[in-house]
Amino acid sequence: MKGTAGNHPQKEIKEFVRKRYGEIARTRRSCCGSSTRAHADAALSMGYSEEDLRNVPEASNMGLGCGNPTALASLKEGETVLDLGSGSGFDVFLAAKRVGPSGEVIGIDMTEEMVLKAKASASKYRYKNVEFRLGEIENLPIEDNSIDVIISNCVINLSPDKEKVFQEAYRVLKTGGRIMISDLVTEGELPESIRKSFDAWAGCVAGALEKNQYLTAIKRAGFKNVKIVSERTFSECCSQAQIKSVQVEAYKRTGRTKT
Amino acid sequence: MKKKLMDILACPIDKYYPLELRVFEEKEEIIAGIITCPKCLRWYPIRDEIPEMLPDELRTEKDELIFLRKWKEKIPQKILLEGKPFNLKEKGKTG
Repeated sequence: MKGTAGNHPQKEIKEFVRKRYGEIARTRRSCCGSSTRAHADAALSMGYSEEDLRNVPEASNMGLGCGNPTALASLKEGETVLDLGSGSGFDVFLAAKRVGPSGEVIGIDMTEEMVLKAKASASKYRYKNVEFRLGEIENLPIEDNSIDVIISNCVINLSPDKEKVFQEAYRVLKTGGRIMISDLVTEGELPESIRKSFDAWAGCVAGALEKNQYLTAIKRAGFKNVKIVSERTFSECCSQAQIKSVQVEAYKRTGRTKT
Repeated sequence: MKKKLMDILACPIDKYYPLELRVFEEKEEIIAGIITCPKCLRWYPIRDEIPEMLPDELRTEKDELIFLRKWKEKIPQKILLEGKPFNLKEKGKTG
């Protein structure tokens, strides 16, 4: 595949991202000491606790994502949770502890290797309340009004059709349900050269929306009470723009009136 | 896959619910099976306990036909011949 290709068709982006994360699932083994420690350190810096790390299968922490501990902390016993882009399952396993045996956590990812890895951890550690599915976050295989909380950790920026992701999230949530998502956004405009790069796309940067655009996309899907619960600088991209990691909360309220 | 998860499973394409499940192999969980959408006739494999609910463009025809042939005795004729996005109609001779 070419390194850059101007205006990428959605399908090309999707295939590239899928392939890249398949490779990551295969090659980033967490059985070697140093990388496991590095992943643990990365998770701690994102706000997860040492206890969180002790509570999940080690192989599920791949040092990916930008951290979503606030979302996990808000989960209640018995809730049905959906993780968009669940990868190797790190947040799913943490969420599973929170919602307990009367709850259920479903992880969806379009990368087969990631889902297999997550499933293997779930079986090995005998998680009863988790379920992994191969699927696409733009076309959720989930019934309307069936989910209490949607979590997602640094994944939606990878989607070439974010509006559709938020519409789907809205559709599957119960009334009163919420999204608690963590993602990368930009402040300022990214230079063309970065926007065009496939590598930057898979590295969560090229696809990141400007912060206000991101929040607007959530509101346009119908969500209410959209707010940023925390944010921090992820990286100084370049002179024109900053990459921020944000945690966003929003609710599906009664009625379908859109803002 | 656990059977009770069928309760919230919908077709990713037309969002139809409920979907139909046929189990081919089962231990604690469903190891192999097929999930079908009665509305659009799309079918989704369950392989290695994982339901694969991908949209058409992310599916590989070759792998999907292998699945259909492997389980053809247990898959309804309608899906074998008219199922989407792939089926065995006119492909019988090739495999």
